Amino acid sequence: MAQDNLLVVENMHLYFKTRNGIVQAVDNVSFNLERGKSMVIVGESGCGKTSLGRAILRLLPENVCRYDGRCLLNGEDIMELSDEDFRKKIRWKKAALVPQSSMNSLNPVIKVSEQVAEPVLLHSLVDDKDEALKRAAAAFKKVGIPVDFLGRYPFELSGGMRQRVAIATSLITDPDFIVLDEPTSALDVLTQANIMNVLTRLKQQIDISFILITHDVSTSSEIADMAAIMYAGQIVEFTDARTFFGKPLHPYSERLMESVPTLEADDKLGYIPGQPPSLINPPTGCRFADRCNERFELCSQDPPEFVVEGGRMVKCWLYKESGERYVS
Amino acid sequence: MDHKLDDPDIQEQEIDIKEKVKRKSNLGRIIKYFGFRLLALFITVVIAIYILILIANMGGAVDNIRMGQIRESVGMTMMGMSSEMAEWPLERRREFEQTLVDQEIERLGLDQPFIIRSFYYLWDAITLDLGRAERMTSDAGSRRVQLIILERLPPTLMLMMSYFLLMFFMALFFALFLSRRYGSKLDRMVVLLAPSSAAPGWFYGIFLILIFAVVLGWLPYGGMVEAPPPRETHLYALSVIRHLILPVASLIMGAFFINVYNWRTFFLIYSSEDYVEMAKAKGLTDRSIERKYILRPTLPPIITSFALSMIVMWMGAVILEQIFNWPGLGRMLFEAIGLFDVPVIVGGNVIYAYLLAATVFVLDIIYAVLDPRVKVGIGSGGDD
Repeated sequence: MAQDNLLVVENMHLYFKTRNGIVQAVDNVSFNLERGKSMVIVGESGCGKTSLGRAILRLLPENVCRYDGRCLLNGEDIMELSDEDFRKKIRWKKAALVPQSSMNSLNPVIKVSEQVAEPVLLHSLVDDKDEALKRAAAAFKKVGIPVDFLGRYPFELSGGMRQRVAIATSLITDPDFIVLDEPTSALDVLTQANIMNVLTRLKQQIDISFILITHDVSTSSEIADMAAIMYAGQIVEFTDARTFFGKPLHPYSERLMESVPTLEADDKLGYIPGQPPSLINPPTGCRFADRCNERFELCSQDPPEFVVEGGRMVKCWLYKESGERYVS
Repeated sequence: MDHKLDDPDIQEQEIDIKEKVKRKSNLGRIIKYFGFRLLALFITVVIAIYILILIANMGGAVDNIRMGQIRESVGMTMMGMSSEMAEWPLERRREFEQTLVDQEIERLGLDQPFIIRSFYYLWDAITLDLGRAERMTSDAGSRRVQLIILERLPPTLMLMMSYFLLMFFMALFFALFLSRRYGSKLDRMVVLLAPSSAAPGWFYGIFLILIFAVVLGWLPYGGMVEAPPPRETHLYALSVIRHLILPVASLIMGAFFINVYNWRTFFLIYSSEDYVEMAKAKGLTDRSIERKYILRPTLPPIITSFALSMIVMWMGAVILEQIFNWPGLGRMLFEAIGLFDVPVIVGGNVIYAYLLAATVFVLDIIYAVLDPRVKVGIGSGGDD
């Protein structure tokens, strides 16, 4: 392929062992992200979005029982690196994280400045502490925090400020991409909007890729170039965001978009009956079949990933014939 | 894109950054804060001692007993006086007896109402003017309660400090180690052994004496130093250490597993915090994650739980010192209770009150050092 891929994920699996059985949190996921583009991973709670983010960053809990696949970053398979090499070469240098609840993402007993500047010192990107602090100050400016907040402790900051600190921390080493795991879910709407504005501005100003994990479809549309829809541990649709938000293909994506409140809509919000299947022993066919109102015979088999017009990927039997809907 | 400073604003601010990071620590405020803490603790001690005085005097009822005692002893003295007194008329004898009794009462200050005297007692106790023992003497032969206590204080402090330090660091690192191996056999064993701390240290002390002194004969039965004490300093120290092993070990046995279990749980709770994962994503080594992101934030609650157990331990040492024949405050108190030596009992308790207050004060300082939430509260006088 001629295109310059930043991140290529192929056949990624991440299974957890629990008392009730094996949870297939990420089940054979593949996608590629071009350099300079950002993507959003959307889906309901418990569909494996966060686990996918964790799998890319190799932030695994104790009970992992299967973790394989390929993950090429700038053409290098980072899954093959040893833990120590991964820590030295990839962690925060190439891939940073803004965690799910940034309220707790800062150590309460250490000053903000130290925590923000920590990665550059750790990876010896600067010579001394002063230099690191300057970098931290620059990062603070970028996300719009007054520089004198550097000397504060996390408990002296509001939730929105802490979130900005987390984003500043993720920027400080100039990574290739940042995984933002529901960066706004714990904040009020105004602060959410603020944070999203910061992210949009950053995206325009600097050359960085965001991988935004969210269940909030409406706020993600501004940032994402690509959209990946996850359902029950699998990516069911992967398309460029503009066309996706205009015309989703997968029945699940359609229902998901219908459930987003809009000002114009005067009728009731759409919803999807039932709930996602348990990831322990998921259904063998299409995983969405049980809740899908367009199901037909083929749905009892696992659908392959069809590529339809515009290079859009959709994992649904409806698109078996040349990208046109089979039944409509 | 570069994160270096292309913005002139930032260039200007560079100079202040360092100063701003080093938050100005206002010495005056720190002194004021600790002054207030000290005052609060002192008031607590005063109230405790006053209650102690009321109890020890049964709210004044002890006066009647003492009056009786005085009358009795005056009678005895008169009988021993010149024989011609026996020929005195009863009336005159009674009168003379009464003058002697009144003199004695006045000498002891008993002519004043108890409530007023209780404040004199309070003043004496607070200024550590603890009066004279009725029966006990110090090893040097003095009857002054102050001297008796001063003689007994160092052994107790030595015993307790060795225990506190050993216990704290051993349990802390073992707990940290276990939290890393959560769910392992060793971990489950510690959880299983945690109820062993239901029995106090002295209980284990009895068995330790049986095993290591009686059966194996490796360590002394009790006491603080060999008799006769070695003359050379290093031999003396060595002997004291040998005598310390069993009592300290039994104190540790009485609290080790419950503390390890507690603290391991603290570590587990704190190591599932988001910032620990964040630290891992940053690429910190496991060791620095443990030190900076697990141990540091967990220390304040650990110190609190340890402080509570320390406060209980000051009192628990009474029986332990008795069992190990340790010449400390605890054993002094035990002996004094046996001899009904009220001044010593009261004096011992006053010292305990002071020791407790000192412990709490030291912990206040440690806490302020460890937890910025406390420290900043002091530094900014709460206007933050």
